[in-house]
Amino acid sequence: MSLNVSGHGAGANPIELIISTIWPVLHGGFGNLAAYLAAHVLLCLLPAFFIAGAMAALIPTEIVTRFLGRNSSKSVSYPAAAAAGSLLAVCSCTIVPLFAGIYKKGAGLGPAITFLFFAPAANILALVYTGSIIGVDLAAARLILSLVFGIGIGLIMALVFRADDAAHELEADSLFAHHAGIGMARGAVALLFVWVLLLLTGTLKLEVLTGTYVQIDLPLLSAAAWQETLNQLVPFDAAKGEEGVSIQGVALIALLAAIGWAAWHGLENIQDGANRWTWASLALIATTLLLAAMAVQATPAGLSIGLTGKFFGVAIALAVLYWIVRKRLSTEAVVDWLWESWRFAKQIFPLLVIGVFVVGMIRVLIRPEWIEALAGANTVLGNLAGVTFGVFMYFPTLVEVPIARMFLDLGMHRGPLLAYLMSDPELSLQSILIISAIIGRKKAWTYVGLVALFSASAGMTYGAWVDGTALWTLVLGLAGFVVVLATLLFFAGRKTPIVKGV
Amino acid sequence: MITIKVLGPGCANCKRLEEVSRTALSLAQVEADIVKVTDMQEIIAAGVIKTPGLMINGKLVSSGRIPAPATVADWIRAAQ
Repeated sequence: MSLNVSGHGAGANPIELIISTIWPVLHGGFGNLAAYLAAHVLLCLLPAFFIAGAMAALIPTEIVTRFLGRNSSKSVSYPAAAAAGSLLAVCSCTIVPLFAGIYKKGAGLGPAITFLFFAPAANILALVYTGSIIGVDLAAARLILSLVFGIGIGLIMALVFRADDAAHELEADSLFAHHAGIGMARGAVALLFVWVLLLLTGTLKLEVLTGTYVQIDLPLLSAAAWQETLNQLVPFDAAKGEEGVSIQGVALIALLAAIGWAAWHGLENIQDGANRWTWASLALIATTLLLAAMAVQATPAGLSIGLTGKFFGVAIALAVLYWIVRKRLSTEAVVDWLWESWRFAKQIFPLLVIGVFVVGMIRVLIRPEWIEALAGANTVLGNLAGVTFGVFMYFPTLVEVPIARMFLDLGMHRGPLLAYLMSDPELSLQSILIISAIIGRKKAWTYVGLVALFSASAGMTYGAWVDGTALWTLVLGLAGFVVVLATLLFFAGRKTPIVKGV
Repeated sequence: MITIKVLGPGCANCKRLEEVSRTALSLAQVEADIVKVTDMQEIIAAGVIKTPGLMINGKLVSSGRIPAPATVADWIRAAQ
């Protein structure tokens, strides 16, 4: 949006001047927030919170950590560390204690680092949110490159500090040895599976899902006028990435507020057992998902409501979920699951709302030319700029995604954008300090350096792919890069065999 | 005298577990000290990988989840 409100002459008084400067900024914030809540959040974030909750509550930690012990071969322990990252840890609050636990309880430095790197970048919430706001291509790149580089950084750290690591082995307890035979309840697996299906049904843009099968026309003559009013309040301009709010969006925002209210009374105290509010909040969530899956359009004749493939898919998934929860899960498991889901929502959602609002305000102030000049093309400088911004800025979990979207709209190239997206959640001053308390300052700063280096290379690689470089060239280049780095480190480690951490 | 330890770095779950423990104590009608353990080294030493952990009289009874107040009350009675 442009600063078009400031059409005052030189004689305008100071108050008018202030209002004319601040108003567009605030307006930008509210517009961005309303558009996000109405368009993006529901079909992707609601299921994602429930999936994250199910993962945290229903997957036993030992199911993955038992593969992390020193006796496991590298080809098992590193992928297991990555799996642990994406399955067990959803927010940074769980990642660092888990990292400390894994490291102290007998995992090598390498797998522990792989876990630390992979978890914030590739957990379900981050991937789903990136996919729906920025694009599936960037989510896939984030997943694949985090996996490759996460394991790479883990291997390098293990190699550089192998003298330390051997000493650490002697003192760590080998907790992971005796946990064989722990499985996951079948009901829990089914629950996760159906939620993932629901998420895919809600977000995939397939013809079968987006097509309308049943059309209902409500003779609401004022619908068109309402939409007109909404368009005035939240102006929309597809070219600038502004989305506007529909009548359906307003209904969804109202439902969200109702869910928040009901959940505060029904999920906050879920350990005491389910009450009427619990069921009310779950029913509201189901309604919201169903409404979000409809195609609603204001026409001059009224409001036309289309029941899409999505709608039917979501309805079936919800029915199956109801059956699983009633018949296939213990009350204890359901309580744990609802609590974890609510906790994630309560912890992340408010930050996201504030973050999106602030991003909307900042966007009005930043000139696209600045971003284009700095990171408009896939250059080394552009990627380094992305990484530097990512390392030194701290944003709460997931807020990096709307920020990245803002940069994209302002003309940032997708390469530097990925570099930023990879480094931001990995590193902040705060996390660097905690990590160095656990593994020592020298190891921590080596890790920071490697993350910066690898994020920039990830950005370069993806950027080159976007610009049309052939895939095999990139794979070869990547492999060569890793081999060279590993060889260098190996020889460096040989010459000075005692590389001691703090 | 029963000692209850809530192990966790101070995240939302640990606070909630502390509340649940208090409710459980009043359910079981038992007097006890509730100690919050926030030191990471000590938490890990207790064998808790996933916080929050709950210890009753030095025995780890739950970790990684928040048990229902009635269940905790049962554990407290058993520990008496």
